[in-house]
Amino acid sequence: MVKFSFSNSRYTYMNESEWPSEAVGIHHIVVQRSFLRGFCVSALLGNGVYLLLVKENSVPVLFWSLLLTEFLLMFLLWNPVYKESVIIMPAFGVQLETHYSSGRIVHNFVPVGKILKPVLVECVTPVTCYWSLSLIVRGEEELMLAFMKLRPPLKMLVPIWKSLCAAIDCRRRSTTFREDG
Amino acid sequence: MTHAYGNRSGVRYMTGGLKVYYVPWRPFLMQNTLPTFYGTLPIIRTILIRERISLVHGHQAFSTLCHEALMHARTMGYKVVFTDHSLYGFADVGSIHMNKVLQFTLADVSQAICVSHTSKENTVLRSGLLPEKVFVIPNAVDAAMFKPAPERPSSNDIVIVVISRLVYRKGADLLVEVIPEVCRLHPNIRFIVGGDGPKRVRLEEMREKHSLQDRVEMLGAVPHAHVRSVLISGHIFLNSSLTEAFCIAILEAASCGLLTVSTRVGGVPEVLPDDMIILAEPDPRDMVRAIMKAVSILPRIDPQVMHDRMKKLYSWHDVAKRTEIVYNRALKCSNQNLIERVSRYLSCGAWAGKLFCLVMIIDFLLWRLLQLLQPAGDIEEVPDFILPHQHQESEVLEDFKEQCLG
Repeated sequence: MVKFSFSNSRYTYMNESEWPSEAVGIHHIVVQRSFLRGFCVSALLGNGVYLLLVKENSVPVLFWSLLLTEFLLMFLLWNPVYKESVIIMPAFGVQLETHYSSGRIVHNFVPVGKILKPVLVECVTPVTCYWSLSLIVRGEEELMLAFMKLRPPLKMLVPIWKSLCAAIDCRRRSTTFREDG
Repeated sequence: MTHAYGNRSGVRYMTGGLKVYYVPWRPFLMQNTLPTFYGTLPIIRTILIRERISLVHGHQAFSTLCHEALMHARTMGYKVVFTDHSLYGFADVGSIHMNKVLQFTLADVSQAICVSHTSKENTVLRSGLLPEKVFVIPNAVDAAMFKPAPERPSSNDIVIVVISRLVYRKGADLLVEVIPEVCRLHPNIRFIVGGDGPKRVRLEEMREKHSLQDRVEMLGAVPHAHVRSVLISGHIFLNSSLTEAFCIAILEAASCGLLTVSTRVGGVPEVLPDDMIILAEPDPRDMVRAIMKAVSILPRIDPQVMHDRMKKLYSWHDVAKRTEIVYNRALKCSNQNLIERVSRYLSCGAWAGKLFCLVMIIDFLLWRLLQLLQPAGDIEEVPDFILPHQHQESEVLEDFKEQCLG
């Protein structure tokens, strides 16, 4: 059951909860295909118009240049990932999933006891800077990224981070009760 | 914004709302990144948009990242301020090239700041910048950190402290001549030399040659946090620089109550009042004379009085207020389009002018291309976030969440 969703030009965020208990929180980030399709079509059209203007009559040249443009666009813009999900099961842990367009799904489960804290960090590369949601995991030196392939905006990461914090806090409080009582 | 230092890379939040970006560009020579001209355009554009920047302030003529950042900021229409911290020559090949690069950057800067009047004269001559655009704001010293010792060092010896990089520019060769002569003339003088560099070997050789191991102590590189403890162990501070735009080191020494002996170069005469400093020509004999004069007037010096005077004369709050005035002046400068700006570069020289115009036009085209590929609307603005005190943590987090979700 979809609780709420919103999107921008590149991604759509969806928040689901599992019926009947709503204890499990599911957060999806889906890649928008329409943006990609529009760009490919306009680039191919542009290529075709250019060749017509140049009055290129040779069919093989036309064919190969269109094919080359198509391959170049696919290489530059094709995103093999269709969707990434974070499934929060407060009593057990967090499952991170990456769904590929080919149908392959990569799962990664982190037990709740191993998660120290979910954090929002700013990552700086030589050409850009973006926000990412990561988990500080007990025993690991490096942060574990919640979204390995996609870079959703901060607006989409904050509700997921809030849910993760709530789940970790809940678990910590129940553990303290058990130790006291 | 700066380049990464070792494994310090990414974003750091400091106190007072200061945020530092350590961009992972590797330095390739003397702590400078490789000058790629246009390579830094994407990251600089991203940072300027996401942080909602109004004005870009670059420091130091020798920083490639600074020149590139100022160039890209001007292309994107931001107001730009440049601060020059050093004096440079005019005659050697390195200086000629450096001055040409500076001319390029300063041709279109909104305002400039220099750290002394001598530095202003030097910058204006090197770059052809209008003097009306240049403000003089001297550096200051943290008087709270650099306090004199509660009690003066009590032995009969007079201790002369030298803390500087041991390189040619800082007059390390002068020290090699001066130290043995002073030690010969006055048996009660000892030296403490802090700092490291290529000329350290010459100083070690001088020690061996004149058997001064017990009178000249070499400390090696001194971290800034330990400079005060080294200074307060001495009576006199010796600065032998061959060129200096301002010299914060003598400010720190004066704040710790030391009498200063320095070469009369660059902006040094503008820094301290005449009764706190003895100036000499950058010549070994004159420096020895100055040191002897300093030794003779040393009993009249009260470190605490000196410190109190320095506290009133120099403060970083004053520097901040004056810098803010420069920023306000820069923000009032009119916006100019590409054609008007490009015409300023043409006056830089017959060939250089045309080259600079070409560089700026290509930068402008690359910026437009980047706007198509990654529109400014796609770059998220960062919510305001100031490091909380402990009891404020939950309020700050709630505020952060509200800003993110809009």
